[in-house]
Amino acid sequence: MTKSTFSLSNSLGLLALLLIMIALPFAIALFDGQSPAAVLGSETGSAKFIQGLLIEVFILAIYALSYDLVLGVTGLLSFGHAMFFAVGAYWTGIAFKSLGWGVGVTLLALVAAAVVQALLFGVVLARVKGITFALVTLGLASVFHIIIQATEFSTYTGADVGLQGVVVPEWIDTVDQRFRFYVIALLATFGFYLLYRRFVDSPTGRVCVAIRENEERALALGYNTFYFKLIALLLASITAAFAGFLHTVHQPIVSPNVASLGFTVAALLMILIGGVGTLSGAILGAAVFRLLEYYLERWFGPSASFLLGLIYIGLVFFLPYGIIGTWHISGFRLKGVTWLLERGRSQN
Amino acid sequence: MAPLLETHALRREFGALVAVADVSMQVEQGTLHSIIGPNGAGKTTFFNLLNGTLKPTSGRVLFKGQEITHLPVHRTAHLGIGRSFQITNIFPNLSVFENIRLAAQALGSDNFKLFRPFHRFKTYIERAEAVVDLVGLSAQADQPARILPHGAQRKLELGMILAPDPELLLLDEPTAGMASEQVPELIALIQNIQQKGNKTIMLVEHNMNVVMNVSDKITVMNYGQVLAEGAPQEIADNEAVQTAYLGELYSPE
Repeated sequence: MTKSTFSLSNSLGLLALLLIMIALPFAIALFDGQSPAAVLGSETGSAKFIQGLLIEVFILAIYALSYDLVLGVTGLLSFGHAMFFAVGAYWTGIAFKSLGWGVGVTLLALVAAAVVQALLFGVVLARVKGITFALVTLGLASVFHIIIQATEFSTYTGADVGLQGVVVPEWIDTVDQRFRFYVIALLATFGFYLLYRRFVDSPTGRVCVAIRENEERALALGYNTFYFKLIALLLASITAAFAGFLHTVHQPIVSPNVASLGFTVAALLMILIGGVGTLSGAILGAAVFRLLEYYLERWFGPSASFLLGLIYIGLVFFLPYGIIGTWHISGFRLKGVTWLLERGRSQN
Repeated sequence: MAPLLETHALRREFGALVAVADVSMQVEQGTLHSIIGPNGAGKTTFFNLLNGTLKPTSGRVLFKGQEITHLPVHRTAHLGIGRSFQITNIFPNLSVFENIRLAAQALGSDNFKLFRPFHRFKTYIERAEAVVDLVGLSAQADQPARILPHGAQRKLELGMILAPDPELLLLDEPTAGMASEQVPELIALIQNIQQKGNKTIMLVEHNMNVVMNVSDKITVMNYGQVLAEGAPQEIADNEAVQTAYLGELYSPE
């Protein structure tokens, strides 16, 4: 009755996975006939390349996790989630390039910016629900998308070309210090995952789940549901902004696409692939999303997006609860997609 | 002694329809006060006004002498007014135990402990275990609420209102849709709770045998107004009530 999601075997499994991920670049270097020690220097070759690809997976995973907290756990359908990521990405770029700030100050200011935008979404949250909330958040994000492309601010944002020429502090420069940055991104992913697990398992997180299940009932029990939804948004906003920070450091350019509706839909796709409301599904979904996209493009060229579409249709058809969700279906822990479908139906 | 709950000329209009028309009522502490009346008499709307689900058009609601007319529903819950629903209203995909545990946690002061596992908060766990036992759902405690049969869901609904230990329970047709052979068990449970815990219960119910047997006082509503009020026998003997409502449902003989 009172089981926790934290068990010893669970923790050992996670630790093993973490160690394997840290060892992976060395193994690839060895396989390539390079010295494993080369990974620590500014090595080239496939070990470096695959680390780069995995860093992108980690960044998307953190971003998808934050969307899963909003949609999958708390049940808030936001179509403006890309803005949470884009604020982090642009802010980091502007702080490094135009303001010449260090990493510490930039991150502190980033948290402040994330809190402000979550409060902005909170103002909407206090007034509208369901599909109206989705549309208003879409509107907010679109305004942001337009502002960063406006020529008036092009000295800061680069307008529709995007933010280029960002100078990243040397110690996390992903060209020279790829392995270091790989480990940072890996640890951040694990850290956020554990933090989110912990949150969902807390009295507060449990109320968020209750709100997704039946908000009217949660109110009648005496929960002021607004504050719980706001907490979920705050946590997600800070998380996604951090993913945006890693994105800018890694690239180090920022395209206005990260503020587009398409990038919110990408998050939706990732958690649908992995399993809505499962957290681990968000990470797995991000990996499938990015790796499929990359390898299909490499193998099939321009027809890749057609194949991707087919694969996604197949996934939704055969794994309607996502990979993790369908895996768990024997229990009843996974309810994300049914919930989403039912909600869609009841609103028609 | 002052009544636990009183309303003064409480009124709610939906456009031209007057659902509750200037109802003044007093509910004494420790009694089981039933509200009966034909469908559409305004009973459920009256409940919605009492606990803040709906705002009244005019009039006042006092709980323990304190004005609660304009308090939202999550505030009245904290004052000790619990409410169950006519249509089963639960968290369908959460376990029976978690449904009741959430109800127990609601009025505590740990709702904003963001990063400590819920199972460390033993008070709510123990309270939920006791309530699951009380309403007789121990065997189903780990099942998702949605797969329970209807009768068991009604018990769960009762458990969710009992978990925070409210002083006043507003029960809106707790036996709605239950098989008739299950009704006595639930009613016995409600009576037991009221007498042992010295609770005040307001009950909306259509089963007249139940109402006549368990009530200390009955208020009859019709077209949003109070038609009659009194002890069960007085209501059964009241001619106006017989014509408007009871005629086909209950006769004292």
